[in-house]
Amino acid sequence: MSNNEQQTETDAATLSTHGKLTMFNEGLKNGLANGEKFTALMDQLIETTDGETLLGAAQQLANFKLDSAYVTFPHQYQNADYYLIFMSRLLAMHQNEKPVLNSQRHSESLFHVFEDLSDDYTFRFEVVSDANGGAYYHEQTTGENLFYIHLERRLLRFNSTAFTNLFINKLLLKGTGIDQINAVLTTLIAFGHYLRNDFGFNVDFNILDVDNAAKYELRAADLDRSIVDKLFVTAAEHDYMLRNSQHGNGAEIELRDGLIVDLFNNTPDGQARWVLTVHDPQQEVSWFDVLLHFDFMRDWYLDNIDALEIKADPLVFA
Amino acid sequence: MEKQNQPDLENQDQPTRVLTDRLQQKLDYVTTLRQAITAGDDRLIYELIDGDHYHQALLNEEPDSTRNAQVDLITDVHPAISHYLSTKLIDYLAREYPFFYYEETHLGEFQIYFGNWWDRRRFGKLNVLKVAFEFDSDEFNKLQQTFALAATHKRFNTDQIQKISAASDQLQKLIDAQSDRDDQKDTLRKQLKENGQRNSLFDSGRIKEERQQIIDQLTKLADQDEQANNAHAAMKDNEAKILTLSKEDTILAYEKQAIENAFKSFENFNERNRSLYVDYLTTLIGKAQVADDEQ
Repeated sequence: MSNNEQQTETDAATLSTHGKLTMFNEGLKNGLANGEKFTALMDQLIETTDGETLLGAAQQLANFKLDSAYVTFPHQYQNADYYLIFMSRLLAMHQNEKPVLNSQRHSESLFHVFEDLSDDYTFRFEVVSDANGGAYYHEQTTGENLFYIHLERRLLRFNSTAFTNLFINKLLLKGTGIDQINAVLTTLIAFGHYLRNDFGFNVDFNILDVDNAAKYELRAADLDRSIVDKLFVTAAEHDYMLRNSQHGNGAEIELRDGLIVDLFNNTPDGQARWVLTVHDPQQEVSWFDVLLHFDFMRDWYLDNIDALEIKADPLVFA
Repeated sequence: MEKQNQPDLENQDQPTRVLTDRLQQKLDYVTTLRQAITAGDDRLIYELIDGDHYHQALLNEEPDSTRNAQVDLITDVHPAISHYLSTKLIDYLAREYPFFYYEETHLGEFQIYFGNWWDRRRFGKLNVLKVAFEFDSDEFNKLQQTFALAATHKRFNTDQIQKISAASDQLQKLIDAQSDRDDQKDTLRKQLKENGQRNSLFDSGRIKEERQQIIDQLTKLADQDEQANNAHAAMKDNEAKILTLSKEDTILAYEKQAIENAFKSFENFNERNRSLYVDYLTTLIGKAQVADDEQ
């Protein structure tokens, strides 16, 4: 037993009744003050019309411990729910109310559904419990993590694998319309834009990036030529021509007037690093849009997904 | 050179005079070539580097090797002349043969690429001095066969692809029949066991024979099992082979299409290739005349 602990025990034993009561009362006061602080943050989170105030409240609530030694609250939301409220509120501030914020019937727990998708698909945040923190936007039926968000570090990372699995394999290929899928995608992309424009988040749109300068990195840095051959053959069967790339080692295909997909070895240092780019005059088409709209490109991508999969940020999507 | 330093022409003997005349001709030849290059007169350059061919091809004159008396003087600068002449020639070819692309691999040496599609083929060389394509015979023959096969609605590799596909189908059947074979093996093993339990003094020959038959059947099934086990690898090999063949077919189809777009038929294409020298030189002559008229 250390000296310190001995000391404390002696103190407790020698406390007067008055002292005990004072200690209890202080504990309660602190607990209630903590609760007050919580409700003030909740007020901010659900009522404020100021972006930074909203983000500040969400940041604090995402890590808030409501219970204390003297005061516990039987009805509580989970930390993940504050991310969800934040997302809904931010979208609502921009008149975008696509995801419907629902609550479980018998408990304090929230989830998103999209009216464009069936109710089978529900979305929640999953808080990362390790030291990195942050949370994944998680579809509960498929277990896909669509993006990662970190409110303090102000970063957002989209995940190509999850988008491909959920929106293409589970939805598009099972008959969900492109319009419905696009409605959901548009909302998620808009969320990224709001975070970037309103708060200066560092956002990686990954497979959803419409910027012509976006270079989608392939999982196989050193792409097997036979995979390009496959695209060449299938493109010809669909009346498209895969052309020899103008700038050296690679190929390009024009899918409609001015919409060009480039596949090339982007190798400034001699080490192979194959990338895809999507070029269109209006800069409104992403690689994911190409996959949604051009069946033969999608089939080629999915058939060779081990090599072609677009890499997401390896720090958060292993 | 000062006049007084020149030897007295009167005093030269006959062979020396011939020699100086001939040297003067050489000087004139080289000077004319130099001027033609400075003036950008490609037609004259072609006439100078192979006058005999020029006169026969363009003026329908009889062969006369004296026209080419001086041409050996410049063989060492042929690559540079070829490089020089390539600019206008390739401009012309780009219009007439829009599907050919050229790469100067060494000074004056030009590789031909057919098309701008993925993995387009190297199709041979462009001989700039002769204004002629020197197609790679393998590549050319494939194209020729492609045109010939089109009449039967076949591609160059159609038969081979069909053969490989059939082999893969066969392998797939072997894989699919695995459970049938397993059932058969069970039955045969039971029969083998029963056979072993039958000890008959009088019928041992027949029993032995029956036993051998069962064992033979089991061996045959085991062979098929092994083939089926290796089938996935073999089918993957086949897939790679089919991909290579399909790719070649696709390339040949593009080449055929390109030729038909520009020349209507393979025959026309070949004819144009044969008359390329005359056609090109004729346009050079035409241009020279237009230039003269304008002056």
